Amino acid sequence: MSEAGSWFERQPLWFKTSVFYEVHLRAFFDGNDDGSGDFRGLTDKLDYLQWLGVDCVWLLPFYPSPLRDGGYDIADFYEINPDYGTVDDFRQFVDQAHQRGIRVIADLVMNHTSSDHAWFQASRTDPAGEYGDFYVWGDDDTRWSEARIIFLDTEPSNWTWDPVRGQYYWHRFFSHQPDLNYDNPDVQRNMLDVLRFWLDLGLDGFRLDAVPYLYERDGTNGENLPETHEFLKRVRAEIDANYQDRVMLAEANQWPADVVAYFGDGDECHMAFHFPVMPRMFMAMRREDALPMIEILEQTPPIPDNAQWGLFLRNHDELTLEMVTDEERDYMYAEYAKDPRMKLNLGIRRRLAPLLDNGRDEIQLMHAILFSLPGSPVLYYGDEVGMGDNIFLGDRDGVRTPMQWTGDRNGGFSRADFQQLFLPPLMDPVYGFQAVNVEAQLRQPNSLLRWLHRLIALRKDHPVFGLGTYEALRPENPRIFAHVRTYEDDIILCVHNVARSAQAVELDLSRWEGFIPEEMFGRTRFPRIGELPYLLTLAPRGFFWFQLRKETGE
Amino acid sequence: MTDDTALIEFITSQRWYGSKTREVGSATVVDRAKLRDGLELQLVEVRFETGTHETYQLLTDARGFDALPEDAHARTLLELMRAGETVQGNEGAVEFAALGNVSTPEAARLIEGEQSNSSVVFDDALILKVFRRVEAGINPELELLRFLTEAGFPNIAELSGWYAYVGAQMEATLGIMQRFVVGAEDGWERALDAIVAGDEAFLDTLRRLGEVTGRMHSALGSDPADPSFCPEQTSTESLGLLTATVDEEIERVFVSLPDDVPDLDLIRGRGEEVRERLRLLTNIGGTGRVIRVHGDFHLGQTLWDGEDWVILDFEGEPARSLPERRRKRSPLRDVAGMLGSFGYAASAAEVLRDTPAPDDWEERAREEFLEGYRATVDRSLVPSGAAMDKLLKVFELEKAVYELRYELNNRPDWVRIPVLGLARMLEEEVPV
Repeated sequence: MSEAGSWFERQPLWFKTSVFYEVHLRAFFDGNDDGSGDFRGLTDKLDYLQWLGVDCVWLLPFYPSPLRDGGYDIADFYEINPDYGTVDDFRQFVDQAHQRGIRVIADLVMNHTSSDHAWFQASRTDPAGEYGDFYVWGDDDTRWSEARIIFLDTEPSNWTWDPVRGQYYWHRFFSHQPDLNYDNPDVQRNMLDVLRFWLDLGLDGFRLDAVPYLYERDGTNGENLPETHEFLKRVRAEIDANYQDRVMLAEANQWPADVVAYFGDGDECHMAFHFPVMPRMFMAMRREDALPMIEILEQTPPIPDNAQWGLFLRNHDELTLEMVTDEERDYMYAEYAKDPRMKLNLGIRRRLAPLLDNGRDEIQLMHAILFSLPGSPVLYYGDEVGMGDNIFLGDRDGVRTPMQWTGDRNGGFSRADFQQLFLPPLMDPVYGFQAVNVEAQLRQPNSLLRWLHRLIALRKDHPVFGLGTYEALRPENPRIFAHVRTYEDDIILCVHNVARSAQAVELDLSRWEGFIPEEMFGRTRFPRIGELPYLLTLAPRGFFWFQLRKETGE
Repeated sequence: MTDDTALIEFITSQRWYGSKTREVGSATVVDRAKLRDGLELQLVEVRFETGTHETYQLLTDARGFDALPEDAHARTLLELMRAGETVQGNEGAVEFAALGNVSTPEAARLIEGEQSNSSVVFDDALILKVFRRVEAGINPELELLRFLTEAGFPNIAELSGWYAYVGAQMEATLGIMQRFVVGAEDGWERALDAIVAGDEAFLDTLRRLGEVTGRMHSALGSDPADPSFCPEQTSTESLGLLTATVDEEIERVFVSLPDDVPDLDLIRGRGEEVRERLRLLTNIGGTGRVIRVHGDFHLGQTLWDGEDWVILDFEGEPARSLPERRRKRSPLRDVAGMLGSFGYAASAAEVLRDTPAPDDWEERAREEFLEGYRATVDRSLVPSGAAMDKLLKVFELEKAVYELRYELNNRPDWVRIPVLGLARMLEEEVPV
């Protein structure tokens, strides 16, 4: 067997039972004392991630970049940002992660590049040259006016004038991020080469950023076009033919009915984020009503067997409210963004714990619901210890502050001088690193971190959460979110109370008459299920997960 | 096709089967390779009712699921290694390899394997160990034996061959072959014999065992150029990670203690006390460095060949996953494993041989061993003073809890031994 042999058993559907962990490399751990996180630092923290039970690390963009959009403005697809290390550091990190049973996926932006990218510089200076047609150029800035402007707060148009070439270029995001021209086969070929480069280095897949916008067509809004799906299918076929157990995760902030198109017939993306479910979880908590969640899940179309939803509570972006109605958005702003500084574009730029007023029961309940839903949970670094945010930092930096490892200097994130840090760590009395850090929570048996660790372990023992069917129970009490997950012989009943007060609920479990519900955390056996409705009482914001077990002879 | 029920029944009744407490749903042969006429290697996936699975290696012939006891079949495996052959299976291939000259064996005999494997001895010269539970990745036994063999560490039975599965399903070590230590007696039996016979000389050999252990750790931490072996500084939260890991193991074991085992009475309901003890012990500054370690170090993994100790079984604890067993740990974890096994021996002498050990036997055994260890280990690997004592206790606690779970699942008659050990630990004073 080769030394660099595979450390995984083949499992094409590994992503369906995995827990993902989103890492902002710059903010995670500084391995060379320069004030910025890097691959060596991340490698040092793999023992922690292994302990936590993370199956797959998702890395935000780590490519060279002028960093005007958190690295999503890529200036070179084949290199590592020198702040983060070298391609060799990257390779070592992936290898070390694999040896610990952890897979690695990375962000890749296919839609656009930074305006600093050599392709764009060549394109603007030499229109007739090799790269002249790599971007979307036009003589007037009125074409495709049906396409919405996404970064409403900063961009007046999707077209920007380039004085060098004397033409407008098309950009769906910032004006420093020109869109690549996918009608040019050379662009397609080049992008496939980029994918192959990283897959050959051992990367287990990509989160495909801003994927709905690859093409532009007259008379359309330029989102989810058939040509885009066709290209993604080509990428998938390429990966399936040459690599094993890799994953494509689509970021398509769209309604579920549109997002399912990104799964194709199981021949396009393996995973896609389910955006609308997340704001409705927050809504359900405020309204103390399970209905918003039940409804959105009902409206979610079935997906191919080999595909999976990615579910999350929070991520590196604002809590996006694009996929809610205007009325719901007003409600969310009123409840969760009382300070206008908390708003950004169509969203709220805050972390999980502050959104939930740092309520321990609320944080746990939200995680329990997330973990019980059909899909794979994606955790955001720092949320496992309940880190806060800093709304006085610009753009989305407020939710990208340094990871809080210890109560020591710089929160254990870096040994550099405080002034050298890329962003100041949180130091307030509630969420600051002296109050909230990994080391202290590891030692405290009742900490959020330790609780979450148990939740992750429990989920991994029961593939049903990733693979099983989902069936909502509709009890009369609207404050109870209850459903049953089934896979092979594993039947799990999940009951959550979204109310601030204790609740009683009667559940019709007559189909499982004779089964014994066993509570999954404490392994306590509850009374046998009979013909009559099953009565449960739940603490405020409390929940129960039961494994329904056939009664044995004992 | 094989009869599913018969296959399940066979596998689950084997001593090397690791998941005795779990409900099996199905068993499927995921790949098979015909090694020679009449001898087939099968990889069997055992699926549990919750949908998770484990993979096991079977060697079968026309007569049944276990062909290994057959002399000729065992010799086939050795022949294949000697020839360095690759045998194609339905999906993947089985690759055989040998180190140095391996002679043709006259005779083969199966010996009752421990825990997770089966072993065959050839001519009292070589021993082949067949790993039954198969996991993706290099087995630590192959990795460590190769490293120590190449480093010229004298107190091992050198590696002489191995075979592995290489396929799309996984790449995994299936078995290793090494020198058979002739006329040796294992440390565990020697300890029990010594207690029963009142043999004082045995304690002197424990000092030697400490020296050998220290040298083994120094050797394992001696190559900064090899990323799989180079010693590493522990991170700031490593002690927290250790505390959390051990604490959760304690919690897990105590949550599921069966009600109907009277042997558990001494510790029943004392889970919180054990956790409290852990908290007291983990108030330490440094934890030294971490290296690749033996991983399952106790008297039963040692042989006395009449002149010196030979260390065996570098597989790690069978109940842990392969990535966990490959993790770099403090070498004190091995030391604690050995110290714990002195306590095990003292209790076992009473439980199994009706002869209580002298009151000071365990204490003297510990002192001898530690003195030898301190004399030879690379001191940069371990913390000093009280920190070392405390860290040792933490690992002993971890080991005792692990043993308790293991015995409950595998050897209910032995449960009393870890129970006595745990109860005793609760009475001890915390080192300051």
